Amino acid sequence: MLKINRRKLLSLLGMSPAILAGVPADAQKPKAPQAKSSGGYKLVGVNPRGAPPAIQLIPMAPRLDTLEGKTVYLVDTGFHGSDALLKQIELWFNRNMPGVTMVFRRKAGPYAEDDPKLWAEIKAKGNAAIMAVGH
Amino acid sequence: MGIPTTPVVTKAFKELATLNAAKRGMPHERITFTPHPVWGKTADELRAYVEGPDPVSGKPMMKEIVDALTQPLTDDEKKSGMVSVSTGPATYGPDTPKNLQQYYLDNGMTDYLPIIIPTEEAVEEMLTGTSHKPDEAIGKMAAGAYPPWSYTVRQVAVNAVMAGARPEYFPIILAIASSGMASLFSSTNSFAFAMIINGPIRDKLNMNYGIGALGPFAQPNATIGRAWTIMSKNLGNGGIPGDTYLGSLGNNLNYNNVVIAEAEGDSPWPPFHVQRGFKAEENVVSLFRGLGVVPGQVARGSSANENVQFDYQLSDLFSTFTGFFGALIIADPLVAKRLKEQGYDTKQQLIDWLYKNTTQTVKDYKSRNYAYLFDYPRALQGVEPYASWYKMPDDAVIPHFPRPESINIVVTGGQTNAYPQAGNLSYGVSISIDKWM
Repeated sequence: MLKINRRKLLSLLGMSPAILAGVPADAQKPKAPQAKSSGGYKLVGVNPRGAPPAIQLIPMAPRLDTLEGKTVYLVDTGFHGSDALLKQIELWFNRNMPGVTMVFRRKAGPYAEDDPKLWAEIKAKGNAAIMAVGH
Repeated sequence: MGIPTTPVVTKAFKELATLNAAKRGMPHERITFTPHPVWGKTADELRAYVEGPDPVSGKPMMKEIVDALTQPLTDDEKKSGMVSVSTGPATYGPDTPKNLQQYYLDNGMTDYLPIIIPTEEAVEEMLTGTSHKPDEAIGKMAAGAYPPWSYTVRQVAVNAVMAGARPEYFPIILAIASSGMASLFSSTNSFAFAMIINGPIRDKLNMNYGIGALGPFAQPNATIGRAWTIMSKNLGNGGIPGDTYLGSLGNNLNYNNVVIAEAEGDSPWPPFHVQRGFKAEENVVSLFRGLGVVPGQVARGSSANENVQFDYQLSDLFSTFTGFFGALIIADPLVAKRLKEQGYDTKQQLIDWLYKNTTQTVKDYKSRNYAYLFDYPRALQGVEPYASWYKMPDDAVIPHFPRPESINIVVTGGQTNAYPQAGNLSYGVSISIDKWM
């Protein structure tokens, strides 16, 4: 399997690891090429990259004190095996945290499509959600 | 949603999930990872996943999930505001051509073949190929379900230089860029992309639509296609393995895509762009995406005999195609002429026959990966024909493609033999090239 270097990936994105800390990303830029030989003529190359959008940081929702007595939605994205994995998660809760109410829902539409109707239902009737699975 | 939520992702997509969350504004999203893959595992195996450790953190997976939903937020997790993203300096160097070549390569800006260094002079020369202003914003491109990047005519020119294109090819490259369609897509499916070029510009540029039409035998065919991929990397942020590209096998067609200049003069039918409502004298590029191209020689009925029937051959080729992407028939003029002799006076007549006569059982249909992933969710929403198909008995016979429009035909090739090819490729959009001259 291809090994991914996180720092290199972020660099390729034009993103700084500082983004992970939620601060401006000006510091990390691709390094300017360093001349390895002094012979021959020299050129200046133009940056071919487009303009990425600025990132709007989204504060995470406040967490619950406990799941006991709460309703947790299990959301199946539709990838193969998602429903089966979520079933095992539900069974784990039944065995280990029976005070948690589990509600299973398959997200409408193919996996990449939004499902605002379901999100509204979860917000109205649920206390937390677990989504699975990214493959 | 405004309530605590945690995604569960398999380990193979760690980088994708983490970086995508960051790009969407939640760099500290609490993601729980499970071993890969989930698909095809038994209930006992999945129970072992759930009761075992998160393969990334090493902590028990269910503790990760419960903690993700209940542990108080850190200050970083509460942050809001805007974060700017830099793509580095405007120029690189001065440095030797060799070092610059290596720099572009090392920073993921090429297709890992040598490029033309995009100097200011070369970019200015490329810009002479269009009347549009260099700073004109022409589009946005995303390599899948990511926030798109935007770009100008000048930035497209930089990439066109790198691909080895000439200024006279530039309007075609601008037309492609204006579509916002990237030729590298984030999916695990290793997608392929194609374009059809129609109009007088084919001859003006000496595009190849004769012998070896789809091969590496002409500069415009080669470099226009290559420019699409390089643009997709640099303007659309595509093609970063593990992040914006997840194709398990990859696709060799991604190097310069399938570039088809239609052999309009040798075709018995109107050219593709005329079918799409353009005038014959207009210059148009039409874009496709899908899974790839297969040769017609493998079809049943393709052995030489006195009554070659290409309609049956093509129908047979389609049997392994996913209906999700449809079919693009790439017919040598000899094939097209033979089909016309068989009685297909128009492309539409052939399309209608293929749609009607390429069938499958509902059982076979339901067993297909794409049907489960894309059609079944739509069937649940009542979208036709999928809703009706999923209600039919397993032995019912249904069309292979959801509608006749799923099938398209283009004619090109050198007439050295009567071979078709067929792409499991769906039509996306047709764009005027003239608009970008």
